[in-house]
Amino acid sequence: MRNGNSWIQRLVAIAIFILLEIASLNMLRRNAPLQRMWVARAAHGFMGSIWGSSQRIGDYFALKRINAGLAEENAELRRENAQLQDIIHQAKVDTMRYGISRVKGFTYVPCEIRKISRNKQHNYMILDKGREDGIQENSGVITRNGVVGIVESVSEHYCYALSLQNTDISVSARIGEEGATGLLSWDGYSSNGASLREIPLQYKFEKGDTVYTSGHSLVFPPDIPLGVAGDSRVVNGQVNEIKVTLFQDFTALRYVTVAFNNAKKEVEGLAK
Amino acid sequence: MRKTGFFAVYVILVVAQLLLSNYFHITQYILLTILPVMVLCIPLKINTSLTMLIAFVTGLTVDLLSEGLLGLNALALVPVAFARKEMVRLIFGEELLARGEDFSVRRSGLGQVVLAMALAQALFLFIYIWADSAGTRPFWFNFVRFICSLPAGVLVSLLVVDTLAPDSRK
Repeated sequence: MRNGNSWIQRLVAIAIFILLEIASLNMLRRNAPLQRMWVARAAHGFMGSIWGSSQRIGDYFALKRINAGLAEENAELRRENAQLQDIIHQAKVDTMRYGISRVKGFTYVPCEIRKISRNKQHNYMILDKGREDGIQENSGVITRNGVVGIVESVSEHYCYALSLQNTDISVSARIGEEGATGLLSWDGYSSNGASLREIPLQYKFEKGDTVYTSGHSLVFPPDIPLGVAGDSRVVNGQVNEIKVTLFQDFTALRYVTVAFNNAKKEVEGLAK
Repeated sequence: MRKTGFFAVYVILVVAQLLLSNYFHITQYILLTILPVMVLCIPLKINTSLTMLIAFVTGLTVDLLSEGLLGLNALALVPVAFARKEMVRLIFGEELLARGEDFSVRRSGLGQVVLAMALAQALFLFIYIWADSAGTRPFWFNFVRFICSLPAGVLVSLLVVDTLAPDSRK
């Protein structure tokens, strides 16, 4: 009981102390302009810190509500993200369809690779479009980074294409904008390496020149950039063989476009 | 000393403080005051709340009747009254408070009394100089004023401490 009284006395003493100090400060403030500014400054600082502290405390207790809001927002963003991913997926297909320069006489069909082999000497790929979608044999398979294969056989809904990473196929290619044409084929071991063969010795070229499709084969549209010329060597003293670094990385291949030359039969008919 | 006798002496010392405040301006660096020791010597049987009220009225009286700022002495003196028992407990020990006795030079020794006076004086001066400068004077000025006023105040207080806190066994 006595201890309780002692506490009450202390509290009363503290209260009286605060009251008397406030009264003193108030008198000081009223009677001296310098002290008025000083007290006002101190009071503003004190109130600022009190408000700041109370704001921080309020913010802390508001965290639960904010967290709930953020969780809801997160869920909404996830939903939006999923929708956007769908749109991007569709846009990729559309890009394949419209991103490649259109050449008169060619029909383009965007496809997605269903199956692809990369670790053989005779690699292939199976695409998700077939005869029903307008795919025909001997159509070129391209991307915006170059040539990737040639359609060999077609079913109703799928087609089978030989990959450029297949030692059995070669593509008619030209070095430089107006250079000599030769046959481009896979080097047989690297993921983006190829050789451009049968370039006559009289044609000059530089290391770093771009290699394009020539358009002579009727399979691929002309002027599709394929890669960059590297080192070269003379074969049998008659022609050059040039190493080419392809633009297309076959390990990151998923969407392609099948290009079919509508005039192929007509041109072939004339050749006969 | 009986309470009535103490307060008669107390009032006389307030008048003495008024004289000090109004007529003894040695230099701007020295503030002569006996108010802290007067509050320190208020009988310990009087509780802290009442001591603070006495200190407040004393400070206000000196402020009103001297050339100082109204409220300045009261502002600095009330904390001395508030901390008085703690200072006594710290310097003279719990035993003095438990017995309900007051300190004196003969009973507690001059050293302890001077220490208590210095502590009370320091607390008073710190608040007084701080509030008086109101943030307009440089730190070094306040510091020099504090350093000069502290020993001067203790010396003046020594002259009155035996009057306010006499030894009852004399």
